[in-house]
Amino acid sequence: MDIEDKIKELERRNQEAELGGGAKRIEQQHAKGKMTARERIRYLLDEESFEEIDKFVVHRCHDFGMDKKTIPGDGVVTGYGTIDGRQVFVFSQDFTVFGGSLSGPFGEKVCKIMDLALKNGAPVIGLNDSGGARIQEGVISLGSYGEIFKRNVWSSGVVPQISVIMGPCAGGAVYSPALTDFTIMVKKTSNMFITGPQVIKAVTQEEVTPEELGGAMTHNTKSGVAHFAEDSDQTALDRVKELLRFLPQNCREKPPETVCTDPSDRIDKELNRVVPTNPKLPYNIKDIIQVVLDDQEFLEVQKHYATNMVVGFGRLNGSVVGIVANQPRSLAGCLDINASMKCARFVRTCDAFNIPLVTFVDVPGFLPGVAQEYGGIIKHGAKIIYAYCEATVPKVTVITRKAYGGAYDVMSSKHHGGDINYAYPTAEIAVMGPEGAVNIIFRKQIAESDDPEGTRRKLVEEYRNNFASPFKAAELGYIDQIIFPENTRPRLIRALSMLKGKRESIPSRRHGNIPL
Amino acid sequence: MSDVTAPMGGKVIDVKVNVGDAINEGDEVVILEAMKMELPVVAPEGGTVKEIKCKKGDAVEADAVLVAMG
Repeated sequence: MDIEDKIKELERRNQEAELGGGAKRIEQQHAKGKMTARERIRYLLDEESFEEIDKFVVHRCHDFGMDKKTIPGDGVVTGYGTIDGRQVFVFSQDFTVFGGSLSGPFGEKVCKIMDLALKNGAPVIGLNDSGGARIQEGVISLGSYGEIFKRNVWSSGVVPQISVIMGPCAGGAVYSPALTDFTIMVKKTSNMFITGPQVIKAVTQEEVTPEELGGAMTHNTKSGVAHFAEDSDQTALDRVKELLRFLPQNCREKPPETVCTDPSDRIDKELNRVVPTNPKLPYNIKDIIQVVLDDQEFLEVQKHYATNMVVGFGRLNGSVVGIVANQPRSLAGCLDINASMKCARFVRTCDAFNIPLVTFVDVPGFLPGVAQEYGGIIKHGAKIIYAYCEATVPKVTVITRKAYGGAYDVMSSKHHGGDINYAYPTAEIAVMGPEGAVNIIFRKQIAESDDPEGTRRKLVEEYRNNFASPFKAAELGYIDQIIFPENTRPRLIRALSMLKGKRESIPSRRHGNIPL
Repeated sequence: MSDVTAPMGGKVIDVKVNVGDAINEGDEVVILEAMKMELPVVAPEGGTVKEIKCKKGDAVEADAVLVAMG
């Protein structure tokens, strides 16, 4: 064989590998509105930047006649490339090959690029589209999953890990995405669950469709397992790129800065009118968030889950910030179990990746109720405290209106490490709302008065003026500055600029014991 | 068709629709008072108001159906 023949053989093998499970299966994939594994990589990465690894790896199974059927690549396309010029590692499961099922070699391929990503400090993006373990592989597939999960954990907080669910992801396979930083799901064509509808029907007689059980909206509304629900493969991959722009390559770097054309001293008079003077009226906290951020751009994360808590990414003067905010329009802005978990997870994600936190507070307290208490609001609420006190990134807080009781403490208060704590003139920082406080403090006086209701109302008004304001807290130095809402953006930018060099560490230990 | 339910326990202080109204996703249907605040309860999806199952002054529990949609 001369060199020409050898080159032709390589080209032939390349083409064969690139067809995966064959033209017919590729067509089936397209018919469902799904891209193939390779098309997804091509769409995601910068043009011509993909370097594929392990293209010719095949399975080694001899049971069940499997040795007669090998397909190069063995169901996953792995390698590295760039997104916006930044190094990333990617694996893309190939549903056309054995249903994208995982074998020993498939797992080894994924582990190889995870190891490379860890060694080189670059993000890993996993495109999931798989029927799960390849049953013929037996326990080898379990071992393979285990090796992947371990690497997810060893990489956690070291390099960003983003999972995109673009097809089935069932059984043990779901644990890898569960351990990553962000999970993006494609509506209608993807799902995640531990046990599927058939097994559930057999064991508990519950009837449920795959979409209802573990589709994109289920995990974006009910379970909080996912962070984004996208309409198509393409928009899901666009979302990956968008997310990466807010994240650093690894935990030793800061997120990428951009050139900011939005003036850092921009005054926004409309902010003076966002918080209603009537404390009973709700407003949309996103009206404040959106206005202060660079170019009014806000990437909200977990938009559909625990809507009483808003989290997401934006920029201030070109630098990435993580936004956390209570949403008065939803559940009166109360903290509950789901909001606590959503908040704590996001705060810890930002802290892991050097992203400063800006927290907007308008919280009347924790949601009362037996369900919340039985559900463990005590330990879930504690997660917020844990996350903020542990975080050593710059933390700036703005209390827009209510900050009552324990909720005042947990929402990035000065006591929990807030570096700069602002309050609007409309802030009401108190141990309790005026009505509740008056009922306790003046119980006897009200009961013994000639006009209890009139007395109560007068005392509530006095309490509101004296205590439900930012001034007591400002007098104590718990609030650094009371600011005019129209100045929010310049104030935040100055504070964050001052905090650019912040270095802080908490007492060392094996690791803390966050209530779980 | 998703009925409009109370997101948390509270008191109904206003009902903003009538039987037969065509409403869109996000329209305010009922105003609830809870935690000393007025909360707009919005329609989760568009549809027609089939039955109004609450009235001003009612105390309702979380997840109670406020307005049945058809």
